[in-house]
Amino acid sequence: MKLDKSYHISGLFQRRMNLKSKLFLFLMFAVQLVKANGDVAPDFIRSIGKIYVVAGVCLVILITLFIYLVLIDRKISRIEKRQKHE
Amino acid sequence: MLLLVYVFVAGWFVPLKPGIIQVTPDRGEAGEMLILKVTGYNSSFLADTSLLRAWLRLSGDTVIQAHHVQAWDDRHLSASFYIPSVFPVRQEAYPLALVLDNAVDGASVLPNAVFITPAKEQDASESSLWFKDKIEKVHDKAGIQYPFRNILAETIRNTYFHVPMWFAMIILFGVSAWYSLKYYKTGLIDFDQRSVALIKVGLVFGMLGLVTGMLWAKNTWNAYWSWDVKQNMSAIALLIYAALMVMRSSLEDSMQKARLTAGYNMFAFALLIPLLFIIPRMTDSLHPGNGGNPALGGEDLDNTMRMVFYPAVIGFILLGLWISQLVYRTDKLKGNL
Repeated sequence: MKLDKSYHISGLFQRRMNLKSKLFLFLMFAVQLVKANGDVAPDFIRSIGKIYVVAGVCLVILITLFIYLVLIDRKISRIEKRQKHE
Repeated sequence: MLLLVYVFVAGWFVPLKPGIIQVTPDRGEAGEMLILKVTGYNSSFLADTSLLRAWLRLSGDTVIQAHHVQAWDDRHLSASFYIPSVFPVRQEAYPLALVLDNAVDGASVLPNAVFITPAKEQDASESSLWFKDKIEKVHDKAGIQYPFRNILAETIRNTYFHVPMWFAMIILFGVSAWYSLKYYKTGLIDFDQRSVALIKVGLVFGMLGLVTGMLWAKNTWNAYWSWDVKQNMSAIALLIYAALMVMRSSLEDSMQKARLTAGYNMFAFALLIPLLFIIPRMTDSLHPGNGGNPALGGEDLDNTMRMVFYPAVIGFILLGLWISQLVYRTDKLKGNL
């Protein structure tokens, strides 16, 4: 198996693990981010009837799905590139 | 796609019914005057002050009405009550619910708004005060709105985003198990690829369900993780599926991979059902409807919410199936090279 040197963290895994490990890392970061927000300004997040919780939930879903789709897109581009070489 | 656009628009822009956010002070003594400062939400106290009424309710018809209600602005009012020195029942403390009603907002309730401690000197004749007033002729709020729930407030909208994640995950895993069964019967590697794509996307939806749930829990249950049965069981279910993917990537031979995946996948789906549907119903849980039946019926989801919730569920399931199609096709292309 070839290692992909351009990705430092996910480069530890095989090429096909890239997608999943990146997604997992992203989710970890998202949790950290939300946690930081919760600690610093709970009053902001809970103001206006806690509407920012809904905003956070929607953003987490939209961003994650978007990133997942972008990763699939990049995978397809890589396949196309390889197809050209053959 | 259209369904999801509708869900995001309706989920965000339909207003909430008026409610009560805060009452100060939150305790008082029997046999004394009690002046409550009430903060409302989405309320319009000033709209028709002549019909503005307030009650403190012990239970059912056991209520006392405020003899004076003064609205300061649309969201703030003061209500003064005389708390009788004797209660119809004997307790160490009496939790009272606050009920408000006016012509525009309709009725709203805050349970356990104030706690009353018993009076030092009790006058038995005052017991009848509890039955003098009645909550009657309350108004209904007109228009399309979501219900106001205490603690939840606006986060009731998360019903349209957090819950469908799990519905989508279960459907994706279910279809995946179906393809695994087909692989077992036919031995075609194509079915294996389909089921794996579905598991991958199902895992994404499951993690989203977990993360959004934690975010919601932090702001309503006060902890990201409160070791609630449903939280634990869904985390275990996700771990089982994650283990499946790890096992798969550790195998070299693709036939062996496919055979093991198919068996494990059916086993995992069979486990998913007791983990998510049976065990949480057998014990107490913070999630609505556990220890009984979940929230699709009854008070937690009214008809206005259903109009958004069902499209949300269908929309996210279709989105999940579409993404897993994309994943399947890319994986297949990759495999053919």
